[in-house]
Amino acid sequence: MNAPVSSSTLTELSMTESADAFARGEVSAEALVRASLARIDTYDSKVNAVIRLDRDAALAAAVVQDKARAAGQTLGKLAGAPMMHKDMYYRAGQVSTCGSKIRKDFKPTVTATVLEKLDAAGAIDMGTLNMAEFAQNPTGHNRHFGDCHNPWNLAYCTGGSSSGSGAGVAARFFTAALGSDTGGSIRLPATLCGVTGIKGTQTRVSRAGVMPLSFSADNVGPLTRTARDAARFMAVIAGHDPKDPTSAREAVPDYEVALTGSLKGLKVAVCETYFCEGADAPVLAAFEAALAAMQAAGATITRVKAPSLRAINAYTALVSRVEGATIHANWMREYPQDYAIHLSARLFGGYAIPGHLYVEALSRRGPLLRQFVAETLTGFDVVATPTLKTRVPTLAETDIDASPENWHRFMAVSGNTRPFNYLGLPTISIPCGFDDRGLPVGLQLAARPFAEATVLRAADAYQQVTDWHRKSPAL
Amino acid sequence: MEPTIVTRMMDAIRAWSGVSVPNAAARHGLADHDALIRELDALRGSLVFEDEPAGFEAALRDCMEGRPQELAP
Repeated sequence: MNAPVSSSTLTELSMTESADAFARGEVSAEALVRASLARIDTYDSKVNAVIRLDRDAALAAAVVQDKARAAGQTLGKLAGAPMMHKDMYYRAGQVSTCGSKIRKDFKPTVTATVLEKLDAAGAIDMGTLNMAEFAQNPTGHNRHFGDCHNPWNLAYCTGGSSSGSGAGVAARFFTAALGSDTGGSIRLPATLCGVTGIKGTQTRVSRAGVMPLSFSADNVGPLTRTARDAARFMAVIAGHDPKDPTSAREAVPDYEVALTGSLKGLKVAVCETYFCEGADAPVLAAFEAALAAMQAAGATITRVKAPSLRAINAYTALVSRVEGATIHANWMREYPQDYAIHLSARLFGGYAIPGHLYVEALSRRGPLLRQFVAETLTGFDVVATPTLKTRVPTLAETDIDASPENWHRFMAVSGNTRPFNYLGLPTISIPCGFDDRGLPVGLQLAARPFAEATVLRAADAYQQVTDWHRKSPAL
Repeated sequence: MEPTIVTRMMDAIRAWSGVSVPNAAARHGLADHDALIRELDALRGSLVFEDEPAGFEAALRDCMEGRPQELAP
């Protein structure tokens, strides 16, 4: 187990701290990027978070920003902050492997809208990150690029599918990273690696130029050190995009303005149905301690039940499996050997699900959303759950490629995150402690549709009275 | 022991989709469907005739903060 340590180096600065320090002229963008590159050079041989490091391009971008600032130009609100992206966000002309062998040489002709928005805001993108193959596992295993390792203990899972995003932010390789979340793929690596991760309301962020997995449940979002970082990041990337007709037209508020720093008056529902059932004792202990901290800071905590979860869980299991199987059908026929065992096995099951049940799952989604909101968010601002029911598992005990007997441990990882993809609700995961093996535990907060500001406000206020998000692994 | 449904599903997948079982782990995954089928069996009859997938976007809007949509569970 690695003991938490503190550090005052540049790489300890969060995204907003880096950008604000740069804006005030206290630090150069080049110094921030060089500090990130040096840390990656020193430690990524252990963590394996990075697929492609665009060293020269990042340094060149930093130098341009330093000159622009010196010339008195106004720069974006993420200027100076080093970040990286999961290797499934397209940049025209640059390889996007999607963590796979099948797309190891794939060069898209378009650039993802979210990358264009982050570029415009001044974030310095240093390259691409390890991920689950085609974003299809919750653990961080990758046969083609090597497993990503948890910086808190290298034998343990990072969580997936945004494995490099979570591990890299935790390891202080960069200030923030783009992840994606179809069944928990932002919130799980955030939890397992001890960082902050948010998925917005379904359709909140454009998916143009992003590798699809399940068009009903795919979400784009950030992994960051703090809720404030996530607020600024989300404000940059959220909003309607003509290139993605499915993206929502609801106005995007200034999420940072919503951060009052106070939990007073916040009404928290704790859903006793399902989310805590069978949870490991160290996880429950950290979760209850988090609730107690919120209550002590002025929140009210109320236990509720949600009978709708029985149906939600059953239907959740159908949608992404069928949609994933559909878009991979040609490759599953032509190149089944090019997939990792765990992925082809998982995709295969999707072909067995009858079409009428898939349509039923989509048809009941609206009514079940209304029911779940009535059960858990009527009279409450957020609903709270542990993000992961169990302690962080090891890479070995969730390795299906090594043994099919690990199937259930592998599939159980996303048990508490998947329902919120089916429901489409904005959901955040923040660190709330450590288990008895020194691995992080996460607190998950969800709110009504398009209430990203509410979950960010609650998460930020919690981080004002705790310091779990400030702990960093001693690599 | 592997449920008998596994072999039948493998045959149906090959017939409908042209995809062959890739490995032993895939059989393990299909065996898992046995439990899922039971869960779905318990939900039979809950679909309302007028329900349709497009209702989800409307529900997202109706369930926003401040909207008077409180429905009884």
